[in-house]
Amino acid sequence: MNFKMETRTSEKDLPIIGLEGEVDVYTAPQLKQQMIVLLEKGAREIVVDLTKVDYLDSTALGVLIGGLKRLREVEGNLMLICPSARIRRVFEITGLDKIFDIHNSEGDARNAAGKETA
Amino acid sequence: MANGDSPAQVELTIPCKPEFVGVARLAMLGVASRMRFSYDEVEDVRLAVGEACTTSVEWAEKNGRPKSTIVLRSEIASDRLTVDIIDTAGSRKEDRDVGGDQDDENLGALLMTLLVDEIKVEPQPDGTHVRMVKHAGQR
Repeated sequence: MNFKMETRTSEKDLPIIGLEGEVDVYTAPQLKQQMIVLLEKGAREIVVDLTKVDYLDSTALGVLIGGLKRLREVEGNLMLICPSARIRRVFEITGLDKIFDIHNSEGDARNAAGKETA
Repeated sequence: MANGDSPAQVELTIPCKPEFVGVARLAMLGVASRMRFSYDEVEDVRLAVGEACTTSVEWAEKNGRPKSTIVLRSEIASDRLTVDIIDTAGSRKEDRDVGGDQDDENLGALLMTLLVDEIKVEPQPDGTHVRMVKHAGQR
């Protein structure tokens, strides 16, 4: 199965989880685990980069929603980088595009970091 | 390409396990490409069938049935694609408090409803039969 995950740290110590390939019932648990690790390390804002993702299912959406909930509980936020129309469509048809903070680029996500969210 | 004659059938059996859902999706990509579907419609079928298999896998795990299988049977007609997803993952009755992942399940069900034209879920003695229909050439 084609899936890769790599966590990098942007300026302002903003952790970015970069995903590649297919995020589904088989691979989404790795993303969940990584988010838990970052939360336990005290991260309050996490960015998930979906730029190189070519498939995303409800399991992945569930993990992202779980992460968002936990971060909002500590007044943090989960941001997504998703320039691909195909992947964005999954958020749009489920109405989740209104819940997530979705950006087109890492620069946009960085600019939004640390600011108050709705 | 299917024409007016009898519809072509493609059948695949996979283990009802997370690592095989990708195999089902790949096969569906091939099958859906035989249809007069737009690029988005092919993606819809791939995602919908992936969701159906994911639900089967989740139930196999909940019911402790690691040896379950999923049969995917596609019927390629000129105007419609019918996909039967038949698992042996046991009953989908929620008789204990599982908690946690219910949101995902609802999302999967929502996605399936939105992505195909018809969907029917029928309990079987050993598992569940899901039938999806996507019409072709509507645009």
